[in-house]
Amino acid sequence: MTPLRRHRALTRIWASDPGWKGWFTTVNHTDLGRMFMFTAMIFFVVGGILAMLIRAQLATPRSAFMGPEVYAQVFTMHGTIMMFLFAIPLIEGIAIYLLPKMLGARDLAFPRLTAFGYWCYVFGGSMLLFAMLTGLAPDSGWFLYPPLSSTLGSPGINSDFWLIGITFVEISAICAAVEITVTILRFRAPGMSLDKMPIFAWYMLVVALMILTGFPPLILGSVLLELERAFGWPFFQVAEGGDSLLWQHLFWLFGHPEVYIIFLPAAGIISTVLPVMARTTLMGYGWVVAAAVALGVLSFGIWVHHMFTTGIPHMALAFFSAASTLVAVPTAVQIFAWIGTIWKGKPQLKLPMLWILAFFATFVIGGLTGVMLAVVPFNWQAHDTHFVVAHLHYVLIGGFVFPVLAGLYYWLPHLTGRRRFFRLGEPAFWLVFVGFHVTFLAMHWVGLLGQRRRTFTYEHGQGWEAINLISSIGGFITAIGFALVLIDIAINALVTLRGRRNPWGAGTLEWAMPKPVPAYNFASLPPVRGREPLYDDPGLDLRIARGEGYLGDPGDGRRKTLVVDIASGRPEQVVVFPSNTALPIVMALVTGVAFLGVLIKAFWLVPLAVLGVAALAFRWVWSLGTRTDEGLLDAGHGLSLPLASASTRPPGWWGTAFLLVANATFFASLLFGYAFLWTVAPNWPPPAYLEPGLAGPALGLAGIVLAPLGLRLAERLLRAGHAMTPGLAIALTGAAATASAGVLAVLASADPQGHAYDAIVRVIAGYVLIHVVLAAAMSVYLAARRSAGFVSPDRYGEVRIVRLWTDYAAITALLGLAALHLPGALT
Amino acid sequence: MRDVLRVFGPFSVWFACFSAVYGLHGLVCSERWSAAGLSLWDGRLALLAACIAAVSIQVGVALMLRAPRLAASSGFTQSVSLWLGWAAVVATLWSLFPVVVTSTCT
Amino acid sequence: MHPAGPAAEAIAALWWVMLVGSCVIFVLVMALLALALRRSNVEGRGDGSEGERVWLVGLGLVFPLLVLLALLAYGLVIGERLAPRDGPEVVTVRAEGRQWEWRFSYADAPGLVTEGVLHIPAGTPVDVEITTVDVIHSFWAPRLAGKLDAIPGHVNVLRIEAREPGEYAGVSAEYSGPGYLDHRFTVIAHDADGWAGFLRGAAP
Ligand code: HEM
Ligand SMILES: [Cu+2]
Repeated sequence: MTPLRRHRALTRIWASDPGWKGWFTTVNHTDLGRMFMFTAMIFFVVGGILAMLIRAQLATPRSAFMGPEVYAQVFTMHGTIMMFLFAIPLIEGIAIYLLPKMLGARDLAFPRLTAFGYWCYVFGGSMLLFAMLTGLAPDSGWFLYPPLSSTLGSPGINSDFWLIGITFVEISAICAAVEITVTILRFRAPGMSLDKMPIFAWYMLVVALMILTGFPPLILGSVLLELERAFGWPFFQVAEGGDSLLWQHLFWLFGHPEVYIIFLPAAGIISTVLPVMARTTLMGYGWVVAAAVALGVLSFGIWVHHMFTTGIPHMALAFFSAASTLVAVPTAVQIFAWIGTIWKGKPQLKLPMLWILAFFATFVIGGLTGVMLAVVPFNWQAHDTHFVVAHLHYVLIGGFVFPVLAGLYYWLPHLTGRRRFFRLGEPAFWLVFVGFHVTFLAMHWVGLLGQRRRTFTYEHGQGWEAINLISSIGGFITAIGFALVLIDIAINALVTLRGRRNPWGAGTLEWAMPKPVPAYNFASLPPVRGREPLYDDPGLDLRIARGEGYLGDPGDGRRKTLVVDIASGRPEQVVVFPSNTALPIVMALVTGVAFLGVLIKAFWLVPLAVLGVAALAFRWVWSLGTRTDEGLLDAGHGLSLPLASASTRPPGWWGTAFLLVANATFFASLLFGYAFLWTVAPNWPPPAYLEPGLAGPALGLAGIVLAPLGLRLAERLLRAGHAMTPGLAIALTGAAATASAGVLAVLASADPQGHAYDAIVRVIAGYVLIHVVLAAAMSVYLAARRSAGFVSPDRYGEVRIVRLWTDYAAITALLGLAALHLPGALT
Repeated sequence: MRDVLRVFGPFSVWFACFSAVYGLHGLVCSERWSAAGLSLWDGRLALLAACIAAVSIQVGVALMLRAPRLAASSGFTQSVSLWLGWAAVVATLWSLFPVVVTSTCT
Repeated sequence: MHPAGPAAEAIAALWWVMLVGSCVIFVLVMALLALALRRSNVEGRGDGSEGERVWLVGLGLVFPLLVLLALLAYGLVIGERLAPRDGPEVVTVRAEGRQWEWRFSYADAPGLVTEGVLHIPAGTPVDVEITTVDVIHSFWAPRLAGKLDAIPGHVNVLRIEAREPGEYAGVSAEYSGPGYLDHRFTVIAHDADGWAGFLRGAAP
């Protein structure tokens, strides 16, 4: 088969639908990565316009441009858009676009999930845009502190838009994170062991795991606050046993890791681009991996540094002050690894390198002011002034936007298949760099002079006029610079000449493919022997195109790629991907209806939508797998591999496992909230604790034992060739028993509006109930799969997935019921 | 998976211990503590004990990573996880030392 | 940044130390970066692996650990010193925030309430018990001390002290809605006579 014929055959298999329909049915990571990035850029423009409104307002004292109400919406939306609708989705887009190409796979682990995540992002983001255009935007700051954001301070719908829209967008982040984790661990080129992974993949692995454990606390907080706003369950109202500090803990448990979720991918880009620009390899690969991991985890232990002024005792502040200074160490390791890389290489001052140098100059300042803010007494003065605003922009723009622009220019030839011809990028760079420092250096200064953030104007005669004016002028220069960058990228993407395949002479696999990028990425999957496959083997791209790698035979017209062993990268299975479908967008729409129902208080919509989602989810999973035992498939190079869906741990098992990591964090945050209220909230104990009685614990325990046992029995029976029914029946009985215990607890918590204790009991019991019911539904699904022939004595991976879920439900039921009954039993 | 767990494990343990000590501190300074008839000195002792436990656990983890039974499948993940193991010990000492130097609940 | 009390003075000193330190570190890092860029134009040197120790262990680990240790210790000592400790002559007042005003009451003069103006004796440590009746606010008199939040249901205690009699501006420093900008108060520090007079109800 000639390369051209192979290209045609593979394109037929992998291409998205032609025309406009393709936008809505594509599941291809190249398409979706581009769509993510493009949408994020639109939000960047919107957020940027809002920033200009802010700076216009603050340019002169007593400006009559905006009143306090409008200004509140503007700064809240600016922060919210930049953090949730620009930065995070842009990272997701970059990772979705690049990772399979760098790792040597043909797509991400769960292509339809990528699409579902994208549409959740679009719909959630649109809700916020809609709120802004109708003047109903959230207005209590991007961290939405209750009671100001709750019914007391914001009786209107404004906060609901935030809670619901952002939660919707976070679903998208969780989807992307599950996907990225499983892809990095298992969807790599044959032979790419963990130590040969491109450094960007290590960073993204850390980031994805951080999203899985960092976002759930905020999702929980949003759920609780929405319950408070919609039904009056007083989690954050002190008179009824709540505490507004709980929100701050939940928010910053998310919020601080969030900052590193934004910074680490940017660091990954630098670690990838800088060595190529310096024509060498990264200094201290292992050190950098260790630093990224340490930084990622450390960033979870420092959330309280956003709460230094809330009256927490000094010892606790000292813990968090110490831990916060500690993050400077792995950061320093990375910075010096990069400078060392330049030192050992021969750097060229191309445009991506300029942005990286700007990163150094800016981020180091941001890091130093960060360390200052970590010192408690200084924080007491600087907190909530423009000093903090300046610091956070040094970190976010210097540490995120600059590196991302370096990356964008570096991968631009890859994205567009063209050479950069118009040289608008250089003047744009200087405008942004100079403008940025003028804006924000000045801002540090007014902050120290006492200008508070979020104040919509200031008086004459405080000595702030000149500084603010300079800052605003700088802001406009920056904005012009950014606009030129976008124009530069647009025209270079649309009109210039075709470029070479590997213009920078890089070593990673994404440069081994033809441009424009084919839908299937690699005509055959390259065997990998080192960290820079293209340096080790300069002719690799041609051999890939000639089909000399793995899976080079288009074969039966199914979309196929390899699954490898996590540590060694040894090929283990062949996975078959689903093809184009509108299911993700439809499912996202129906999910959106559920959110909309809560938003407009049409609660009857919610159960309908949930049923719809369940039905769609059923269709979604039903289409996976095969009805026959296919045995071994030829993967090329004399290798015969089984289908992934026939293995004991199919990709779906891994996806479920990492989804459960996020879910477990959610549950742990819920238990934390419960314990927090119990120790700290002023109006505790509640009028009465739950009476445990006998029925609840007994039923619960019985179910907790029975359900996992039933599934194990079902698997035994299946593998011995018998009917699974007895096992599944036991599992269902167990689920029913635990569910009744949950219902009893719900009924016993009679007055969720009266005291936060009753409210949180309901939430915990509800959580257990939902999980048990889902486990039961999955058992029924298994029975159907068995009778349809998708599950057989040799293909029982799905039983393992259901078992995993059931075990999880049982464990959370055990913990949840124990937490509910303990206080009552003790008193 | 073992390699990945080795790499992420040490600092995750740090986070667990750190949060536990912080939680204990919250309890010590809350009304529940005095309601249970315990004094601030008891609190300081409990915190000290918790810190010592945390450091021992962390050292235990670092030593455990050397066990041949848990060895990583490549020299790379083996050495990265060993570094991280000891780095996490330092992080524990660093972040918990306020227990001995600052006042308990003011 | 014109401190007028011990707490604010300590923090201002801390700031100047950190500013100088940061500038030195910034210049150092930039110099290293420039050096790295320059040096690499020199031909004929090793593959660079000999530098890993210096860059990663020396500059990446040891250097920040030493600097941070010193800074952390300094910060903690100040933090401890600023904590409200019992003393014979500490005066206690109460600050209650609401949208958008502050009410102050005085342990030494039960029943006396002032709105928007907090009276304190100069040269004496004062503990302000801060709380709120609605949303979160923050009590901040920049020239006297750092800020501390007013959280519903909680009472936080801030130690302030004015060295000299006089008027000091104060603001709320946690966003609290449209009236936030003008959510201000004034602290009036009296000399001994003035304070005694104030407590007797003579002079506001
Ligand atoms: C030219 C670019 C930008 C300018 C001139 C700018 C300006 C500002 C200003 C003046 C404020 C303070 C408003 C106030 O407190 O009164 C602010 C807040 C903020 N900005 Fe930016 N910004 C820019 C870009 C960004 C970017 C790229 C991000 C994030 C990736 C970002 C994130 C934030 C956040 C999170 C806040 C806090 C909002 C709040 O207080 O609720 N900004 N920005
Ligand atoms: Cu933070």
